[in-house]
Amino acid sequence: MWRRISDVTTAVSARISANRCCDAPALGTVRLVGSTPTDSLLAARIAAGDDRALAEVFDLLSGAVYASALRVLGNGSLAQDVVQDVFVELWCHPEKYDESLGTLRTFLTVCARHRAHDVIRGELRRAAREERSERMIPTQRDASPSDHVAAAETASEVRAAVELLPPGQREVVELAYFRGLSYRDVARATGVPEGTAKSRVRLALARLEALLDRQLLESS
Amino acid sequence: MTASTPIPSELRERVLAASLAARAGGRAVPAAAEISATEAFARAADAFVGLLSSLTSAQWRTPVLRDLDVQGLVGHLIGVEQDVQRALAGDEEVADADHIASTQEAAAAQADRDPALTRTSWRRAADQTIDIVEATAHQHAGSVVSMHGMRLSVDALLVVRAFELWTHENDIRRAVDMPASVPDASVLTLMTDLAVQLLPHAVTRTGSAEPTDLHLVLTGAGGGTWDVPLGNRGERPEGQDLTIVVDAVDFCRLVANRVALDALDVHSEGDGADRVLAAAATLALD
Repeated sequence: MWRRISDVTTAVSARISANRCCDAPALGTVRLVGSTPTDSLLAARIAAGDDRALAEVFDLLSGAVYASALRVLGNGSLAQDVVQDVFVELWCHPEKYDESLGTLRTFLTVCARHRAHDVIRGELRRAAREERSERMIPTQRDASPSDHVAAAETASEVRAAVELLPPGQREVVELAYFRGLSYRDVARATGVPEGTAKSRVRLALARLEALLDRQLLESS
Repeated sequence: MTASTPIPSELRERVLAASLAARAGGRAVPAAAEISATEAFARAADAFVGLLSSLTSAQWRTPVLRDLDVQGLVGHLIGVEQDVQRALAGDEEVADADHIASTQEAAAAQADRDPALTRTSWRRAADQTIDIVEATAHQHAGSVVSMHGMRLSVDALLVVRAFELWTHENDIRRAVDMPASVPDASVLTLMTDLAVQLLPHAVTRTGSAEPTDLHLVLTGAGGGTWDVPLGNRGERPEGQDLTIVVDAVDFCRLVANRVALDALDVHSEGDGADRVLAAAATLALD
């Protein structure tokens, strides 16, 4: 809730200072700091709970944030969810923005890209789980034939996309997402440094994002 | 640079609503731990006595404020504490007593005393105030105390006292070339909150009666955001919009009348920022 002073009942009299009561202030003129709010000022206002500042940032940068998410996801609805996540995160944790590391625009679009990749990873994990359970439970009594077909289609589309990856990228994706290994274990299994394993996974996800049928994500 | 893409119009409203649902507006993050007004006063007193303990004999003789050296200023604060205790006891004589004249005797009494004795006298006076407040908390709940032209709740009075101690602590620091101090975020939160509550009165009594809807944003630790209706509304319920953004500590220094307006970094939108901030500076106790 806003702290609205009109609601405050205070017992303060009109006079708080005995010696300065009604003194005509001779303090000079306010020094205004620029006409355009800087990124650090907007972040400081958001930290102070100023939702007008959040609205200003949204008006300035939501288009770029949306574009960043849309480029990764290729799905407008999912991209809107990412925009919401990014701005709610900024509102709740404005201290995560460090002006010395870049502009607010860069910060938010990078956040959107990471969040979008999280969404992709979540979808891949979900698809992998479905594929595993498809293999482990040959017949499910309460699943309809159409359910089987849809699940199999989903799993096979993901599998087909993974098969199209270069060998090095395919290997790390299979280890990380189908076998559930950590980056460290993936690095150990493939004999490469952990950073290289992470890079390969990131590259693989970017490639998968282009390969996967967008309808797969929309239908989920 | 990432290109901008038109977004669905309803997304703005949805995002802002989700944000405010996740974190209410007005309060600063990271949130400061809530403390009582008594605790705020106790912390300010600890900081003040800590400074006094570090001063050399020569520094105790340094001129600080008006005609007072450090020791005389501490004597003034002993006098203020005595008046606080009288006010808490219901003594009506201190209700309209002058903040400075009323304490002159206590200030003068420190001349030629050992500074350590002055420091001990002040510490004892501050501790007595805390003891009285704590012992009579149930009795003073919701009641108003009158002192030095102010009518305040006991809690507000203690925050005013914390404000004054911090102000004078920094008067001394400036006089002896020590770096300025800043209260912790919990104390600052109480100080800014009280200062903002008093702002409409300050604006009114300085003759700035133009109806104004002030959106005040105090940045940094102890800050927050307030919507404050200012001025005499009369038949005009709507005031002109004014947004002021300023650092919370700077705002407190302004309210203490320890910084000039032209030395403040202020971001404002709308007319009248000078008028409102100048009025804030008249809240100062000297």
